[in-house]
Amino acid sequence: MPLSSNSIGLAWTLVRTDFKTRFHGTFSGFVWALLKPAAMFLVLMSVFSFLFKDPAYKLQLVVGLFLWDFFAEGTKNGLAALHSKSFLFRKLRVPLWILVVAAIANPFITLAVFTVVIVLFLTAVGQAPSLAAIGLFTLYCLALALIVVGFSLATSVLFLKYRDLNQVWDMVTQAGFFLAPIIYPLGIVPEKFHFYFYIWPPTPIIEFSRTVLVSGHAPSLLANVYLLLEVAVVLAIGTYILKRMGPRAAELV
Amino acid sequence: MNPTLIEVESVSKSFWIPDEPRHTIREHVMAGFAPRPRRRLPVLDSVSLQLRKGEALGVMGANGCGKSTLLKLICGIYLPDEGTITTNAAITPILDLGVGWNPELDAVDNVYLIGGLMGLSLQEIARSLDAILDFAELRPFARMHLKHFSSGMAARLAYAVAFQAVREVLVLDEVLAVGDAGFKQRCEARYREIRAAGHTTLVVSHEPYIIRAFCDRALMLRDGRIVAEGTASDVADEYLASLVKTG
Repeated sequence: MPLSSNSIGLAWTLVRTDFKTRFHGTFSGFVWALLKPAAMFLVLMSVFSFLFKDPAYKLQLVVGLFLWDFFAEGTKNGLAALHSKSFLFRKLRVPLWILVVAAIANPFITLAVFTVVIVLFLTAVGQAPSLAAIGLFTLYCLALALIVVGFSLATSVLFLKYRDLNQVWDMVTQAGFFLAPIIYPLGIVPEKFHFYFYIWPPTPIIEFSRTVLVSGHAPSLLANVYLLLEVAVVLAIGTYILKRMGPRAAELV
Repeated sequence: MNPTLIEVESVSKSFWIPDEPRHTIREHVMAGFAPRPRRRLPVLDSVSLQLRKGEALGVMGANGCGKSTLLKLICGIYLPDEGTITTNAAITPILDLGVGWNPELDAVDNVYLIGGLMGLSLQEIARSLDAILDFAELRPFARMHLKHFSSGMAARLAYAVAFQAVREVLVLDEVLAVGDAGFKQRCEARYREIRAAGHTTLVVSHEPYIIRAFCDRALMLRDGRIVAEGTASDVADEYLASLVKTG
């Protein structure tokens, strides 16, 4: 099924019903879903206020942690998406990509709430980001979502064949957490190595997001083109692997 | 002559059963990525058939003869090893009832879920929601969670959605016999309406009565090959005779 109104409708129904099941379809459940990232933000900011005196570092750390949390949670859900829904494509002709995209919707909602919370926070402390900065940060979040989709398209179908891929991916994300400049500024790494750090897709997203939200600058056009290229490569590889292995997915489970 | 909607040409399908299971990266690495010994389990052998617009074709055969695999190949769930399958129409497969329903959701949400999975758009589901609930006789229970439904109620809901989702070709696998006598009658009446509206159907069943009543012609599979083909009545008789012989 190509990208049609039917496939978008199905993706929406899967996301909506999953959300409803998770939060028991109640209004208080919906409030909890919104409250969780907001509460997490406040807890982190409070703890970091005790630990670190530099206000910019605190914000950079929180932005990095939330973006990383979305990447780690999204790729974890995405990897298991086809395995956990195999009863569907063994009996129906369901587009596999819809199942993968629907699986990462929940962490994406958390990231969206975080975006609202951090903009409100910055405004409250007198550092209101410009509309352009908010727009760019939103684009970086969408780029990260596409990167998560790209990884998940590949890992979800590979996981049907290699059942310990989730363990391997756990190790990759653990190492990746330290490879991405989340708890340290990239500046402490000699500049000649920066290129290698930027190959890890979350790195440019985290760096650029901090630049627009905390520092108030926009990354160069070249830097944005590099990010776009990275997103395209990850999506292309993911799509290729899914297209290649997807038609036999029902035989792999 | 009506146009051909589905053409299956010399299709073969086997499943490969590895002698040594290897499901993890660790196992593949330990084995040095060497090819593993595996046995071939042939399921379909050079099967050909044509389904023309408006026809109802029945498929009969003993357990394990390849009926369900043939349907999954036609529905695009499996890929053939050899041969080609050409489909010139949208297919609605009902290979199992209620695939994908969620017991934690109510009937309405499940209609959206199952309907969406069967290819209905949100607008189509919204338009036919009342008709689906009425057909399933579940309007008073529309907001009740599915986990509180009896199995009969759940099956009725699944049927109601499936019948609403029918596109050009309806593919049914052993699912025309649920519910009480009254509901069965309504299902059969709905099936006849679908036929009368010009839809094409492909029905797999062990039940000679169903093949005779609902199909124009039929074929019988044995060990993955077509061994009989003709009118629904003749093939149903032959199937019964084969049971007597083997029994």
